Amino acid sequence: MDFGKQLERLEAIVRRLEAEDLDLDEALKLFEEGVERLRAAREQLTQAELKVKKALTGEGAGS
Amino acid sequence: MGTPLDLFAAASAEGAWTVGEVTRRARAVIEAGLPPLWVRGEVSGFKAWRSGHWYFTLRDKAAQLRCVMFSRENRLLPAAPADGMQVFTFGRPTLWEEKGEFRLTVLELLSTEQGGLWKLAFEKAKAALLKDGLLDPARKRRLPPFPRRIAVVTSPDGAALRDIEAVVARRWPLVELVLVAAQVQGDGAEASVCAALARLGPGGLDVDVVIVGRGGGAAEDLWTFNSERVARAVAAVPVPVICAVGHETDVTLCDLVADLRAPTPSAAAEAATPDQADVLVHVAHLAERLARGLTQRSQRVLDRLDRTGDRLTGAIAARLERSRALLTAHGARLDALSPLKILARGYAVATGADGRVLKRMAQLPAGTSFRLRVTDGAVGARVDGSGEAS
Repeated sequence: MDFGKQLERLEAIVRRLEAEDLDLDEALKLFEEGVERLRAAREQLTQAELKVKKALTGEGAGS
Repeated sequence: MGTPLDLFAAASAEGAWTVGEVTRRARAVIEAGLPPLWVRGEVSGFKAWRSGHWYFTLRDKAAQLRCVMFSRENRLLPAAPADGMQVFTFGRPTLWEEKGEFRLTVLELLSTEQGGLWKLAFEKAKAALLKDGLLDPARKRRLPPFPRRIAVVTSPDGAALRDIEAVVARRWPLVELVLVAAQVQGDGAEASVCAALARLGPGGLDVDVVIVGRGGGAAEDLWTFNSERVARAVAAVPVPVICAVGHETDVTLCDLVADLRAPTPSAAAEAATPDQADVLVHVAHLAERLARGLTQRSQRVLDRLDRTGDRLTGAIAARLERSRALLTAHGARLDALSPLKILARGYAVATGADGRVLKRMAQLPAGTSFRLRVTDGAVGARVDGSGEAS
């Protein structure tokens, strides 16, 4: 999952956990998912390395 | 001697033209022979009437031309021209019949003070883009907060690419940079940039943002980015485009059409990416809220459990109390029925060797040994044979 979607889901989880009157089971499930997403997001952030690639030169795109 | 010109041969009331007729005819000739055109000259005798219409003369060393620019046209201009200013005007040559005056009805007026013909071309292209709605602020798209892939349309060996790489590597290395090589100046640059931009169209390279640009340079070298064709190619890109031509002072057509104008390629890279340090802080904050959210939720459940527990304990206590009372009552009854109580009243119980209670004469033939239980103990006994049924 790309970082933007990961973060969006995480924010949604936190908002639900804060705002809604969930039963404990559901809250726990959300929490677990939130922890997993946090872990994934942190991993993405800390392990990222910039990739640079060249689009193959097509007609007219040479320099 | 030739024949004298007979000036009066045609002189009759029928043969002479009226002033109106000849001016109308002259006007028709002028308008048919001179289509709307651009005229360059120096402004003199400028006067703006209260009606909003402008009257002035365009002149050069050889001639002058009377001009009128109606308010309908001149109110689109940022300012009125001053006397002595060199201008380009686009207008319709005509003849004003009331005054018998040859003049130009001006539709557009451009100053040549800065940039000259460049400026003229720029303004023309800009007007065309404006007419097609390509400069509408509502067209500007928001940049995605977390781009996955950024295309960079620039020269593969220019400073722009290196600058962008450095900034993106520091701020948001999660992204993939895709270089779409293009020639950004000189002959053929226009076609090259257009071709590169066209590759980002539907079915082309899958990117979230495009940075198009180059490092700094002379104003003339920016011409590629002032081409109407390139500007239209920018407008046609289906994802947000950041234009960074590395020139602080000159705004190019591409800048105007792009979703964002950045003064330099580095600034474009900054605008296109979030800063990972900020994002890490945000993620840490979310982690806190997540934990707090769960704690609050469980605390609420625990509180409820506590209240339920209290009620449960109360119920059990009451139940126990009732049981105890019942037990006491039963105990009293049991006590009354106890055989020990009966023995105390003087009765005795006979039991055989096997411990069974002997209740009938048949169980007690003469000579039988048995035990007799009384209130304070038991004695051995034997049947002596006497006895009778009752």
